[in-house]
Amino acid sequence: MKTLLIIPAYNEEENILNTYNKIKEYNKKNDDKYDVIVINDCSLDNTSEICHKNNIPVIDLLHNLGIGGAVQTGYKYAYKNGYDIAVQFDGDGQHNINYVKNIVDPIKKGEADLVIGSRFIEDIDTFKTTWLRRVGIKVISCFMKVITGKKIIDTTSGFRACSKEIIKDFSISYPPEYPEPVTTAEIIRKDYKVKEIPVEMNERTAGVSSIGSWKNAYYMINVCLSLLVIRMRRYKKCR
Amino acid sequence: MPLNLIIALIIFSVLLFVITTIILKKGRMPEKYSLLWYFISLVIFVVAVFPNAFALITHKTGFQTMSNMIIGIILVLLTFLTMALTIIVSGQRKKTTLLIQELSILKSEINKK
Repeated sequence: MKTLLIIPAYNEEENILNTYNKIKEYNKKNDDKYDVIVINDCSLDNTSEICHKNNIPVIDLLHNLGIGGAVQTGYKYAYKNGYDIAVQFDGDGQHNINYVKNIVDPIKKGEADLVIGSRFIEDIDTFKTTWLRRVGIKVISCFMKVITGKKIIDTTSGFRACSKEIIKDFSISYPPEYPEPVTTAEIIRKDYKVKEIPVEMNERTAGVSSIGSWKNAYYMINVCLSLLVIRMRRYKKCR
Repeated sequence: MPLNLIIALIIFSVLLFVITTIILKKGRMPEKYSLLWYFISLVIFVVAVFPNAFALITHKTGFQTMSNMIIGIILVLLTFLTMALTIIVSGQRKKTTLLIQELSILKSEINKK
């Protein structure tokens, strides 16, 4: 099955080559091969130059679109090139390539359409973000349970894999803001199968996260509002 | 209606008319959006020229003074206008995003060849 790793990158000159080399190394050692596409979201640093110099497949966005727009570009690319599975993979070294297999396997076996790599399912000794953010994620998780009836523990995880059908869905419509919890809720409402798999994540090796701590409350309120709107909408069921 | 308010309204409506025309002439606004501004300018002008009719409406609708009613109407109008603009801007953003994405993908494909 053709699998694509979508790597959105904004000012990741310190991490991107390292991330790509780890994927390349993994591909050499293992039977599963993953293609890569870096979506350079109009970085101000040398992310683009590094990608071109090292033959890393990259799409340079002409204008900064934010995380949602960048990731959606990856899904459009995956759809146009006939990929069966697409995995969102951070360019900052937070996601561990060895866990991609874990989140891709349920899709290959037909057990799920969307698989979320979760930091909180099992007590793996790993990086789990700040407590404030954990509280926010917990609130969103409870809200998600009320709205969709399904318990998703790590609602904001950006480490996700999805099937061909969802690639098509995402390439057509993908929210520009708060994409992870919003799309997860939409996917559940469309009756797709969603699964959470425990994964280990590393702390960022360099660079700054896209969500600052002071933005947490604002983020939470917006996500809850988006979830409420999703509850009110009617969705065409996938099956 | 006090005379100074009448004069202010007439000046405002004429200004609005002139500014809308200038913007239209420079091609910075499509005609369909200018209609709304011309209409508002006309309404303000009519109110200023026929204050008695307006005074009657003010009395019937229970406003204390005419200026209160004018401010009230403007407030409601601006609220709806801002909402309409938010919808237009959101639509534009969607279109721009789509354009940027498609063009960026296309450009990367051309560069590959």
